Amino acid sequence: MANAPTRAQIEALAARLSPNVVSTDASDLVTYGRDWTKVHTPAPSAILLPRSTHEVAEIMRFCDIHELAVVPSGGRTGLAAGAVAAHGELVLSLERMHAMHEVDTLGQTVRVQAGAVTEAVHRHCEPHGLTWPVDFASKGSSQVGGNIATNAGGVKVIRYGLTRQWVLGLEVVLANGTVLSLNGALEKNNTGVDLRQLMIGSEGTLGIVTEATLKLARLPTRLDVMLFAVRDLDAVLSLFAAARTGPFALSAFEFFTDRCLARVQRHRTIRAPFADTSHSHYVLVETDSADPEALELWVASLFERELITDGTMAQNSSQARSLWELRESISESLSGTGLPHKNDIALPIAALREFCASLDALFARQYPEFEICLFGHIGDGNLHVNVMKPEAMSREEFFARTSEADHAMFSLVKSHGGSISAEHGVGLLKKPYLGYSRTPEELMALRAIKQALDPKRILNPGKIFDIPAK
Amino acid sequence: MKILVPLKRTADPDNANKVKIAPGGGKIVTDGLEPKPNPFDEYAVETALRLTENGTNPKVRLAGDSVVIVSMGPKESAATIRQALAMGADSGLVYETTDEALDGDLVARALARVVAQEKPDLVVMGKQAVDGDSNQVGQILAERLGWPSATFAMSIELSADKKSVIVGREVDGGVIKLKLTLPAVVTVDLRIVSPKSVSNNVTPATHAYQDGARYAPLPMIMAAKKKPIAEAPFASLGEQGLTTTYLRFEQPPSRKAGIKVKDVAELVQRLRSEAKVL
Repeated sequence: MANAPTRAQIEALAARLSPNVVSTDASDLVTYGRDWTKVHTPAPSAILLPRSTHEVAEIMRFCDIHELAVVPSGGRTGLAAGAVAAHGELVLSLERMHAMHEVDTLGQTVRVQAGAVTEAVHRHCEPHGLTWPVDFASKGSSQVGGNIATNAGGVKVIRYGLTRQWVLGLEVVLANGTVLSLNGALEKNNTGVDLRQLMIGSEGTLGIVTEATLKLARLPTRLDVMLFAVRDLDAVLSLFAAARTGPFALSAFEFFTDRCLARVQRHRTIRAPFADTSHSHYVLVETDSADPEALELWVASLFERELITDGTMAQNSSQARSLWELRESISESLSGTGLPHKNDIALPIAALREFCASLDALFARQYPEFEICLFGHIGDGNLHVNVMKPEAMSREEFFARTSEADHAMFSLVKSHGGSISAEHGVGLLKKPYLGYSRTPEELMALRAIKQALDPKRILNPGKIFDIPAK
Repeated sequence: MKILVPLKRTADPDNANKVKIAPGGGKIVTDGLEPKPNPFDEYAVETALRLTENGTNPKVRLAGDSVVIVSMGPKESAATIRQALAMGADSGLVYETTDEALDGDLVARALARVVAQEKPDLVVMGKQAVDGDSNQVGQILAERLGWPSATFAMSIELSADKKSVIVGREVDGGVIKLKLTLPAVVTVDLRIVSPKSVSNNVTPATHAYQDGARYAPLPMIMAAKKKPIAEAPFASLGEQGLTTTYLRFEQPPSRKAGIKVKDVAELVQRLRSEAKVL
């Protein structure tokens, strides 16, 4: 079992590294000790800010010898407590390793270090008419390494898929300090088990991503953004069915409820989309390279088919951005105005309608007096279920209530063939519920992989699943 | 009641930092920037719509009222006008020319000709365009027409008999209210699109608008396709001659990068010895 370092060990480690790599500054310990979840109290022993892969390897060799626990750290915008260090671990932040190489416009790839901020990668590629199509609200802080370690999703998954699809090569430092270079920049490489894909989504438990060759996509030539108001969740799904067959490539299909909008408006100055404020469900649709006239005919048909009750279409990119802001500010606004209990579930698209009906009944039973803020990438079968803590309730009682309700909801998810974590990962938060999505046999295989790559269990210990003591 | 709203097509104000200066400093290059309506003119469109409708849901245009948008600039200005029509305006006029062939004075003179043709009861426009920032067209236009004018409007109230408006203007230490007998010219500032800044004595005083210029409602976007936009060459207005000559454009000097100081002592020392502010 991995340990917390002694003071002498921290000093010995610092002596092996370039100046100022190690920090034990109190504010750094708090900042780097947690992600966007607020459940755990951060308590790392020290923060390591290496400047090169060589230094990351040096750190891991030292930690391997002394069996010290290490929590890899990116932009810490995670929502599953995967980057939390609450037990005296060393936090290894990649933020100083943010170099970006030149864009390969022919191969449509770019090699970047793990600490490169997602949005900076977008800006780096934009002049070449290219983009890394991993996109979500926290792109201004999240880092490539963290995106890869968590196989991040986001708002464009319906068009582009998860991070997994957009990584060609990886450089990974293993628990014992070995540096692996996986797959280079190859689109095709059929030489056995793909270790790169094994690393993607492993939440820092199998290795530390230090560099990546990212696959790029052409920037869309024309994006149209529309916001619709619809009657209820069922109508959201009917509109989705209509959008699936619309004359365009769908690049986003997002929905949120009036409660989310109300929280956004409490948190920020943001103009309401419609004069009529009585709508309960909103859908944001983004289309890629639609023929303007065909798109407008389709939109007009939505009124005729009574699929929507109100709507607008961005007339220029400023309006498109403002409409997106309504959706992208939700997560931040929920945390900014209260304490949300977050769930991020996925269902097969075909099961959504039936699941949502059962979910409504479940909420009525479990949460009669709670404020539930529902939103998500419903086009991917992904729902974000946020339960807000009532002002008068204690944190302890709140978490006890939500934990009980989670079990009920996850049973429902399981019976509909869904997943308890669509894109947030497992981390510490979803660990107790992993059994709803993974069978004991699967977990046995996963533990065997962990055992092979990190026998001393020093990498991000306690995340995703526990390993019973031998 | 007929309201004329002059609307300028400007290069994407959200990306103003991407504007370049042509070699030699002869002109500003805005290539690759998306054209958008001047934001202050959008507020003017919103103001005109609020003045001519019953704002309760669904909004109803008052009988006999109309909002006409006029733009001077390249042919593509029609697309910008279309955005205002999608918000709810009724018709548009484009007088084709290039931006280089215009200055504030010429635009004001040309607008005076348009006013003579269109005979609006009120001209509502942005206090300035965000590209040239000249802030003079509304003032010169009012002078040319001999009409009363109020600039930087943050509120406007139309009298019940529709013969005058009371315009609130932000000034040092408060708000000054001016009563203007129509016809008149009003230039608007950002706050004109606050929820209760426009009153037309028809929309109930209790009604609060959404903050900001409205998004175009879908039915209106469809309807806008069929609304008329008349196009004519700028020369047809019979005004010419620039009174402004641009000599040269240059970038502001680039700022020096900041430095990090070790501690407060160093900060104080540098403020004293280098910045000389202590």
